[in-house]
Amino acid sequence: MTEQMRVLSPDTKGAGKPQLDVSVIVPITERPEDLAELYHEYSVPLSESGQSFEFIFMAEPWCGPLTKPLIELAAQGHPVRVLQMGQTMGEASLLRLAATHCHAPVVVTLPAYRRIQAAGLLELIQAVIDGADVVNARRWPRRDAWLNRLQGRIFHMLLGSITSQRLHDVASGVRAMRREVLLRLPLYGDFFRFLPLLAAREGYTVTELAVPQHERDTSTRVYGPGVYLRRVIDLLGLFFLLRFTEKPLRFFGLLGSTLAVTGSALLALLLVQRLQGQGIADRPLLLLGVLLVVLGIQAIALGLVGEIIVHLHASGRRGYRILEEDSPSQHSAADDSKSLSA
Amino acid sequence: MTTSPLQLSVVVPLYNEVDNVIPLVDAVTAALGASGSWELILVDDGSTDGTVAAADRIAAADRRVRLIRLARNYGQTPAMQAGFDRVRGSVVVSMDGDLQNDPRDIPLLAAKLDEGYDLVAGYRKGRKDKLLTRKIPSWIANRLIQRITQVKIRDNGCSLKAYRVDLLRRMNLYSDMHRFIPAVAAATAGARIAEVPVRHHARKHGSSKYGLSRILKVLADLLTIKMIRSFRDRPLAMMAAGALLATLLATAVAVAATVAAVGFGPQKANAVVFSGAALLWLGLAGYLLMLGLVAEVALWEHRREQGDQLPLVHEENN
Repeated sequence: MTEQMRVLSPDTKGAGKPQLDVSVIVPITERPEDLAELYHEYSVPLSESGQSFEFIFMAEPWCGPLTKPLIELAAQGHPVRVLQMGQTMGEASLLRLAATHCHAPVVVTLPAYRRIQAAGLLELIQAVIDGADVVNARRWPRRDAWLNRLQGRIFHMLLGSITSQRLHDVASGVRAMRREVLLRLPLYGDFFRFLPLLAAREGYTVTELAVPQHERDTSTRVYGPGVYLRRVIDLLGLFFLLRFTEKPLRFFGLLGSTLAVTGSALLALLLVQRLQGQGIADRPLLLLGVLLVVLGIQAIALGLVGEIIVHLHASGRRGYRILEEDSPSQHSAADDSKSLSA
Repeated sequence: MTTSPLQLSVVVPLYNEVDNVIPLVDAVTAALGASGSWELILVDDGSTDGTVAAADRIAAADRRVRLIRLARNYGQTPAMQAGFDRVRGSVVVSMDGDLQNDPRDIPLLAAKLDEGYDLVAGYRKGRKDKLLTRKIPSWIANRLIQRITQVKIRDNGCSLKAYRVDLLRRMNLYSDMHRFIPAVAAATAGARIAEVPVRHHARKHGSSKYGLSRILKVLADLLTIKMIRSFRDRPLAMMAAGALLATLLATAVAVAATVAAVGFGPQKANAVVFSGAALLWLGLAGYLLMLGLVAEVALWEHRREQGDQLPLVHEENN
């Protein structure tokens, strides 16, 4: 990992470093704004509240010049760290990597552009201190273009149909959480967007807090068709991951048997007609029936291979997370054996 | 977990059983006596009704009782696995938290285990449940499970079972496999299995956590277990068998296509439809073969990296 990444600021890792209150992680991925300005704005409420904090900027190879002012800030003694990647990693990997480098039990993720008003950070952090594992910031009241809001509405409506967690602004990117959550969640690819939902699946308590939207976060954003297509595919992937990771055959079996039963019904119909003396050699329905049966068998076979993979990995994986247990040492095993021999 | 200082561990998953916790612990304590060489592991599966508080009080007062809390409601299988992962006894007994099982049967099961079995399953004699929604589906399911898994167990739905800890270390339960533990044990760990009749009581407190909606799930899980039992070391063989069938069908349809083209059928038609159908079946055969190869790759990679838990072996000494 050290070969892939250089730390471009005074290295604050190490035993002598005191524990901090909050680590703010800023992955620099899309449309970054002036990062020094961003730091100044968001650090104000933190320093005013008297909490000790650090800002960790995660820089991909292409953002070289953007990080210069940050390195100057660090040289002036500001609690700023810049971790420079040697390769493009994507936001999910940046977040997980940052979690291994931060010094505080409470972590805030912040996009490299302004989305909420700086004062809102304190409420989010307080909610984590009060016991929540993940607190998602919901930009509310919204002040941006209606087109943005419409997009968000549709996205969250779709999201609501695949999960029971009621969140209104999963994609805000601003979240406070316990560091442990970020370390333990198997985030990859585009699933960082759904971090609160994946955390809830692992049994962490997830809440949402309304935070005033930043006045700069108002421009209308319309993306290319490819971006929307990817969001829909993300939702499909999420739907599968949330429900069927341990039982792929339940998904593919239902899909496959539906297809195969439909196809068989068509073929049975044709068989009846054939027995009544009609020719079926020129009926496209025959092709459709066979196609559906074939697709059904393919789906089921794919589900079976999925089950093989799940079964192979069962010995290394535990499908549950322990909240708390009386450790055997509490009433220790040695103690027990003594009482046995007595 | 190299040494087992205890003789017996009882694992009970609990989900919203607040009224049953105290009677349950009392019954287990009464059944097992003050020998001190047992532990009771209560696994709270994300209860929301005060089960935790009740269990916590008992665990604090009686050091033979341990409480494990899961982070959310995961279901019975992960809850049981969580308990199994933490047992310290050399014999492990699992049972339901609803008091329908009778802890007085535990010594019976353990004694049967000593006769040389790895798993002893209880079967409920005089079962006290509703006929239409519980007993009849259960009867059908058990027949089906017997036929498919070839493991002769009368009552797969009875949670009261005893295991050697060696067996549990070789088994990994996930998804909803608690319904098929004997089949899984036989298929993956080579367990020797016996059955004993056990008592069964009607539910006094709380409500049943099962519904009828599980039939499709059970069917899918059964298919999985059948496959794992028969083909876990040779997925390509399974896929090749399917591919062979598909090829036979393709041939049959191709013959039909030829017949239709030559004109022996009811009408002389162009043979596009039949040839198309033949090609579809042939495509399926190719697809299944390729999928089998991918499965072999997954198996190979797994074996190379981690090896596999070897099944139980019984050395016969005279």
